[in-house]
Amino acid sequence: MATGIEAKGYVGQRIKRKEDPRLLTGAGRFADDVKATDELYCAILRSPHPHARIVRVDTSKAKAIPGVVAAVSGAEAIPHWNMLPPAMDLMEMKLPKVYALATDKVYYEGDAVAAVAAESRYVAEDALAAIEVEYEILPAVASIEEALGGPWLADVVSGDGSTELPDNPLMPGETLQALGEDVGKGGVATEPAAASGTPKAILYEEWGHNIQCDWKFEIGDPDAAFATADHVVRRRVGTHRYSGMPLECRAVLAEYDRGRDRLTVRMSTQFPHQARTFIAAVFDLPEPNVQLLADDVGSGYGNKLQIDAEVIPVLLSKLTGRPVKWTEERRGWLTSAPHSRNYIHDVEGAFSADGRLLAMRERIVGDQGCDGAVRTAGLGALLVGGTYATGAYDVQSYSAHVQALVTNKAPYGAYRGYGKETANLPIERLMDAAADQLGIDKVEIRRRNLVDEFPYEMPAGPIIESASFRKSLDDVVEAMDLPALRRRQEDARAEGRYLGIGTVVYLEPSAGSIPMSVFNGYESATVRLTPGGQVMVLTGMQTIGQGMETAMSQITADRLGVRPEDVRVVYGNTESVPYGLGAYASRGATYGMSAVYEAAGQVRDKLLKAAANLLEASPEDLEIQDGVVSLVGAPAKRIEVKEVAKAVYLFPGPYAVLPDEPNPTLEGTFVWTNPNVSWTPDEHGRVRLYPTHGCGAQGALVEVDPETGQISIEKIWLCHDVGKVINPAIVEAQVVGGLLQGIGGVMMEQLVYDEDGRMLTKTLNDYQVPNSMSAPPVELMHNETASPITPLGTKGVGEAGVIGTPAVLMAAVEDALRPLGVDHVSMTPLDPQRVLAMIQDARS
Amino acid sequence: MGEERQTVELTVNGSAHECEVEPRTLLVDVIRDELRLTGTHTGCEEGICGACTVEVDGKLVKSCLMFAVQADGCEVTTVEGIGEDGEMGRVQQAMWESHAVQCGFCTPGMVVAAENLLKNNPNPSEDEIRAHLVGNICRCTGYHPIIKAVQKASNATVVELRSA
Repeated sequence: MATGIEAKGYVGQRIKRKEDPRLLTGAGRFADDVKATDELYCAILRSPHPHARIVRVDTSKAKAIPGVVAAVSGAEAIPHWNMLPPAMDLMEMKLPKVYALATDKVYYEGDAVAAVAAESRYVAEDALAAIEVEYEILPAVASIEEALGGPWLADVVSGDGSTELPDNPLMPGETLQALGEDVGKGGVATEPAAASGTPKAILYEEWGHNIQCDWKFEIGDPDAAFATADHVVRRRVGTHRYSGMPLECRAVLAEYDRGRDRLTVRMSTQFPHQARTFIAAVFDLPEPNVQLLADDVGSGYGNKLQIDAEVIPVLLSKLTGRPVKWTEERRGWLTSAPHSRNYIHDVEGAFSADGRLLAMRERIVGDQGCDGAVRTAGLGALLVGGTYATGAYDVQSYSAHVQALVTNKAPYGAYRGYGKETANLPIERLMDAAADQLGIDKVEIRRRNLVDEFPYEMPAGPIIESASFRKSLDDVVEAMDLPALRRRQEDARAEGRYLGIGTVVYLEPSAGSIPMSVFNGYESATVRLTPGGQVMVLTGMQTIGQGMETAMSQITADRLGVRPEDVRVVYGNTESVPYGLGAYASRGATYGMSAVYEAAGQVRDKLLKAAANLLEASPEDLEIQDGVVSLVGAPAKRIEVKEVAKAVYLFPGPYAVLPDEPNPTLEGTFVWTNPNVSWTPDEHGRVRLYPTHGCGAQGALVEVDPETGQISIEKIWLCHDVGKVINPAIVEAQVVGGLLQGIGGVMMEQLVYDEDGRMLTKTLNDYQVPNSMSAPPVELMHNETASPITPLGTKGVGEAGVIGTPAVLMAAVEDALRPLGVDHVSMTPLDPQRVLAMIQDARS
Repeated sequence: MGEERQTVELTVNGSAHECEVEPRTLLVDVIRDELRLTGTHTGCEEGICGACTVEVDGKLVKSCLMFAVQADGCEVTTVEGIGEDGEMGRVQQAMWESHAVQCGFCTPGMVVAAENLLKNNPNPSEDEIRAHLVGNICRCTGYHPIIKAVQKASNATVVELRSA
């Protein structure tokens, strides 16, 4: 397949971003920047209780406040809309039946109960205080154990084979206990695992339990491998609750035109088309009558991939007949926008004497808050975690058991990583533990197990089409100069200072293509060459800060022989662009770009045919560069692209310039799908949902202060391989940005509920994110192993920085604290209290 | 619950404005809603994220924590007032070259904060830059390219925080 890349191509260049001038000068267009005539402002009343029945809501006093135009409770809203449609519906997951405004129950502190539309946001917020709500408080489920009604897992065996509990700091509300449990063979569990007691409460009474999804898988014969292995290594590892926290909270401007039964919704969203589909469904509007608009989006990182409270301003617009603006306050975001991470793994590896991983068992339990499939779509992340937990290593006997539990906390959504970081944690910690237990060097044990031959079929089904695990690890190890670091570490210890080193390998599956879900697997593009010789690229992708307009311009420019500045990328308007799926799972460089590439290819073919007719030459003998079509080897025989375009469209027109050509305008449309996606289960029941795989390796050097518990990161090394790179500056920017989010998540950011389910971290004072002082030095390295299945060889980037960061930081801190008797660092957050707690526990 | 409106006089980016505001109206809301200068953003209304950063009488202010009436008679500079004759200022130009922008939501606040630094400290050290920008959160870039851009804009020695 021709690449269409010219010698002086734009693809691969670090060109400056087209998005930047408007963003730098304050001329961006974020949802709240647009004003409608006569707009009202929406404020949402949220539940102060984590679990309660709603007895009575009285909005009458709010309605009477001057400036308030409407006030509505969940019960009052019922006739005007439908329940929220599921964002994912597979693997027999349980789907809550809820409205965007709670009707009979609230399920978390922050659940939306009522809403107001008023002439100003100030009046709307005042009016919330006048809404009277009577609750009947119910017991709150605030932990995995309370959700299950008993302890979670079988005997916890620590690395040395004893049955003592590992001394890990606990997540709030969690306890480590033991319960026997069998892992069955294959398929989806239709009955939840029986717990020994009764759940503290059941969120959705019709379920009879709190398990939203329960998935088991097995292949090979792990039991036999474990029974005969030289060594069995087991670790429990987990993370606390945190999330993306984009700087722009949710924002919606909804405008309902009663005369035409038409709805226009401007939204800060990552997926305009799915948003349109869901909004139409909630309001029983014909979907062609709904238009979704999104220009600039103040990032999302996955957290803006749902329709939940977003429909509340739409409801108010329908009720009032006026445009309604909702701009969420930060407190609202932290309490009700999607939460993430918050899972525990119990992982076991059967190893040979020389460190070869023969079989692996992985058990994951995740705290989904009140929901991970309807209000939001984070449940899939746990399944991705269970699917990818064998990581970069060659092992073919594997069993996984994933349970997604509901608790009385905010809903669980997508966040950068979406299970890939979930998967990286157990396998990388297992490798470190095995290295310790077997007495093998931590880098060496990885080397003995890395996959080298591609394509490689992982035990749970995904096919890694190409990767550079070994080279990435080698590059990082060489750059770190481990022997020198070890000498520094020894010298430091002699001075009473504790340096620690960690190295991990990571796998970065991208372009998630999940059936029965909003995270589906195709992307659309239309490319139009205008009579003036400029190009419009209509894409179903969405700009969220990832430089999509620039990268698409580079590809289109190369494909059509024009300059990037001649290309305008159109997105975020469901009336203009073909149905596409937006930005998630690092799919832009594969799905997004490939669709553009193919659509532009259609235009290129017709452009060359037309030029050939005008030049009386053969299309094969022509080339296009800088807006000029010329004969190869005889550049004097030439015509400008804009002349060709003008000739095709109007002067004289297609009958003359493209005779007998079907679709004789310079436009092309393509919907790209990936041949490596398979939804038909094979003989083991496996499907393949992520068609492209980036990879890399990461190293960390930290110093831990045993007096204060502070961890300072002296340096991070990160080698990334994302396949063909369209714009290296954009790729590097994403990797570093993701790295800081990973660091923030591991060390600073905490979404905390107390043992009664009360939310404690509602401001940015509580939810601390990295600032300019937090960014450590980073050495980036780069490999480029092209994908064999995408037209440009691209694989997708965006999540690299968060995937390996938790494991590498845990490894480094563990390495630093070993002399103090801390053998296992297995849980985040790694904040000063917990570090000190680990040191204390080790001393006593 | 409505409050009596007052008139405030603000000179914003060199232009005089007279606005009728309630005493409780935040400066950021006047800037965005009344004056329609939407470059300044609201990210938290708690004074932490810095997306609302402007200059009031030469000092950096979180405009979500200031009432418009407190700025009566003051000179306010927003991102729209940076640069001259339609050209980007030196910080903006350097950020563009350094790929220091991703989603752009923090960017106006960063630009105003960085320009303010360089006005008072034309050759800041890396530590001074980091300390000065500590009130401007960015979730996208990881800060490296922003720090580098400020160094470039100041003609100070660019210390590579990130080597490749």
